[in-house]
Amino acid sequence: MMSTVESDNQPAASHDAGWIQWLALAPLLAWLGAFVVVPTGIMLVYSFCQRDELGQVVYDFTFENYVRVFEELSWATPLRSLAAGVVGAMIIASLTALWKYRTGRQLTPSALAGPARRGLLVAAVVAIHLEILAPHFQGVYLRILWRSAAYAALTTLLCLIIGYPVAYVMGTARRRWRNILLAAVMIPFWTSFLVRTYAWITILREQGLLNATLTAMKLIDEPISILYTPLAVVIGLVYAYLPFMILPIYASLERLDPGLIDAALDLGARPLRVFSSVIVPLTFPGIAAGVLLVFVPAVGMFAVTDLMGGAKVLLIGNVIQNQFGQARDWPFGAALGIVLLAMFAVVFAAAAGELVSRDRGRGIWRRRWPGRRGSPPPGQEDGASHLHVALG
Amino acid sequence: MKLPGRVWVLVNVVIGLVLAACPAIRAADAELNLFAWSEYIPQAVIDGFTKETGIKVNYEAYSSNEEMLSKFLAAGAQYDLLQPSEYTVEALIKQNKLLPLDHARLPNLTNIAPEFKGLGHDPQLKYSVPYMAGTVGIVVNTEKIREPIRGYKDVFQDKYANRIVVVNDNRELVSWALHTLGRPINDITPESLEMARPIVTRWVSLIKLFDSDSPKTVLLNGDADLGIVWSGEAAILWNEDHKFHYILPEEGAHMFVDNLVIPANARNKDAAHAFINYILRPEVSKLISDEFPYTNPNAEARKLLSREQLENPASYPKATKLEIFRDIGKQSAAIDRMVTDIRSAAGKADKE
Amino acid sequence: MTRRPGFATLDAVCRIWTGLVLCFLYLPVLAVMVFSFNKSRLNITWQGFTLEWYRALWHNTSLMTAVNNTLIVASVTTVLSVILGTLGAWLLHQYRYRFRGMIATLVLVPVVMPEIIMGISLLIFFATVNDAGNRLLEWMGYARRPLSLGFTTVIIAHVTFCFPFVLIPVQARLASTDPALMEAAMDLGATPAQAFWRVMLPNLLPAIVSGALMAFTLSIDELIITYFTTGPNSATLPLKIFGLARKGIDPSINAISTVLILLTAVLVICGQFFWSLRQGNMEKERAHT
Repeated sequence: MMSTVESDNQPAASHDAGWIQWLALAPLLAWLGAFVVVPTGIMLVYSFCQRDELGQVVYDFTFENYVRVFEELSWATPLRSLAAGVVGAMIIASLTALWKYRTGRQLTPSALAGPARRGLLVAAVVAIHLEILAPHFQGVYLRILWRSAAYAALTTLLCLIIGYPVAYVMGTARRRWRNILLAAVMIPFWTSFLVRTYAWITILREQGLLNATLTAMKLIDEPISILYTPLAVVIGLVYAYLPFMILPIYASLERLDPGLIDAALDLGARPLRVFSSVIVPLTFPGIAAGVLLVFVPAVGMFAVTDLMGGAKVLLIGNVIQNQFGQARDWPFGAALGIVLLAMFAVVFAAAAGELVSRDRGRGIWRRRWPGRRGSPPPGQEDGASHLHVALG
Repeated sequence: MKLPGRVWVLVNVVIGLVLAACPAIRAADAELNLFAWSEYIPQAVIDGFTKETGIKVNYEAYSSNEEMLSKFLAAGAQYDLLQPSEYTVEALIKQNKLLPLDHARLPNLTNIAPEFKGLGHDPQLKYSVPYMAGTVGIVVNTEKIREPIRGYKDVFQDKYANRIVVVNDNRELVSWALHTLGRPINDITPESLEMARPIVTRWVSLIKLFDSDSPKTVLLNGDADLGIVWSGEAAILWNEDHKFHYILPEEGAHMFVDNLVIPANARNKDAAHAFINYILRPEVSKLISDEFPYTNPNAEARKLLSREQLENPASYPKATKLEIFRDIGKQSAAIDRMVTDIRSAAGKADKE
Repeated sequence: MTRRPGFATLDAVCRIWTGLVLCFLYLPVLAVMVFSFNKSRLNITWQGFTLEWYRALWHNTSLMTAVNNTLIVASVTTVLSVILGTLGAWLLHQYRYRFRGMIATLVLVPVVMPEIIMGISLLIFFATVNDAGNRLLEWMGYARRPLSLGFTTVIIAHVTFCFPFVLIPVQARLASTDPALMEAAMDLGATPAQAFWRVMLPNLLPAIVSGALMAFTLSIDELIITYFTTGPNSATLPLKIFGLARKGIDPSINAISTVLILLTAVLVICGQFFWSLRQGNMEKERAHT
């Protein structure tokens, strides 16, 4: 997911880090060490503690918090879901391959196919889980974790679809319009979240603007109840995270070499084709960054469900909040947080290949070229040849 | 090799300057660190205290008991005054976190009405002084609902499905269920929770939304027609429009009392006592009542209130002695687990 | 990038789409602005037009202080995040560190962690450090206990979860940057520092600006972490607004929001206007020489 665009550039990080480079990185490391590692460590310790009457920690070692997170998890279900996920992914991968072979093109590991395959894989697994297997998760907290991931995934997908064209317009606009658009996209988010959300409530409520307009246009007879439903939660989430998808994609789009687009058009491609085969793949780092910056915070989001969902949809953020709140069970809350963290760490490790790089890296999350070590095959190294490959 | 060496030196310098410029210097004596509900102590009251005594009041705010507890317990000796609700006071007393009050320095304590003395959490008011009180009851938009609503059973009828708002408090939900079962609300055991479970499950399916911060919003909006909310919210609704009636459920209701307490490790115990005594003055307490239509426990202050204020059914409901929440310790986790299970299962059913 | 004939329809469709999205983004903002003139104190239903909230703003010191604090915190946070994030992204991209994978994952931890966990754990950390530091200072003779929760702790907390939002877009942009750029600059005689400052940074500017905008936005709206790490005098606007919910969020909040939005919009437009003027002048000068 965080793969760099393998075929687009030469390997960059070819210098080893000497002591002065480590010294330069020191502020960042110190910051991470003090304000990320230590607090996480505190929470890790707490998660193995028991709670006292007030909800605080008593330093008695116990596994019971983690047991509780994974309660009622029978071994049958993960195996079943894993099997279904693999089967589903294989089906989708084969269909993709069939399609490509049908048009006579070779299934080359271009920048598009690789990440797209992975994305499809993840999508297939998630979709199958949600549709067929989630009901089998009897455990309360696992159910909630899955649901949170589902909402976050849906939000990310919607943000991507809605936001990409906006980023495209921003990235290809003239300088003056570009800056104005940048500001225009961000300014609504400089009002307070609560104020914005109450404004949404005013708009979406039964006698609000939306229903009034729809009734006046005679599209509906009775006001539709959007507020305090999952739909309202999705609207709220997409609204909250849209700029965090648009901006990274814009940053990536902005440096797109117009020569490539000219070349593609000269080679005879239609605009839509150029868009999908040239522009989108070349902005993949931006898309990956956007997906990261939307999906990850969205899983832990709770304010939108509280306000626009009427706290009816319980997501993991709400549950964790509660543990430090009414439930007064800090150790359990800490355990839930650590589980969330661990889940993400595993996903990143899988997506990025490995956590410790050994080859020439091309960015901080390095992805091994499929099937071989080292640099991409010759002829894949610059944008023009990638272009040629992508267009077949 | 020069490198971004110059740059990172600059970075370090900048960070160092920023950090050095920022520490807040606190003089330990002439200040009072107040940690209270947000918007619960009028600015006029605070200014009056500062004018009279010269003590600067640092007013830090929170929006729920648990938020307060989390920060207070994690932050060590930072505060001189807290404002917890009664069950939190009890929990704090049990953990020896509170300072016993010196009644000699609180002559105005006699102003407190008798029904607020002798309550379960702190019978002799040894550690706490009541600040404001309230109840949790039923609010009905009588324009939309013509039938009489007398209790929880009347609220949770199928015909009101998706028109009900309740506070987002799992313990409250369970205690209402226990009221309808005729069981004491502080008797939280696995058996009582199992008995409450089907009731709460049915109720959750009828509720439109949970909102502890501002349930009045949805009632004024018209998106909900009745609800079980804090009396303060109901009082505001009544003042806004008399169509919102407030009823204490016939199956049983409980009241809550917010109190002023002094942490055991407070630094300015004298200033804290002075502040409490100041709040207990009738004219000061009246100012508080003017701003917030809750139940004023100060009998002398009540004599100064207007007829309109006293006739607000939500502020001063006609009720006999009501129960209060007691500290239930670790059972709060059991409640949370059960209600989370119920609410997440219900949510799954209507997930798009 | 200039328009191409083949792209006319695609560009047009994208522009219309952008317009619709902007409408979606600004719908609640318009509602906020309209309701700032609402006569009703509770501001839930419309009850008539009035300017009283704007008049009252000037005297509403607590609100103004909160806005002030928010802007201070957000600005410093953004600056520090940009420095930390850009530097981090650059160093990790350019040089091969031994634990880069682990560092990369660590950078993401503040983004994953639920805010309440971050808030509480940072609070515990700060409380411990403050206490120890104060004791040390007391022992050394300085008895005024200067270390406490306040602006410093809030800013540190904000920077911690904001800087990944700068680091990640910058890294993404670096990933698709031609390394020949730096090599060419150094071939032409620049030192690595000069090459970075004068060649790479301008290249990274859109990503840095994106990151800075995101960091700023996150900081001005951050509630939970601020709650746990603030002192009484550094309370920010989100805290104040959330606290008002019980009493009823009156239209003065809408009023201040409207003022801030209009101010920002005016600043941006003026800035653009002067910038293009300056560009125009520079081009004229170049044409003359």
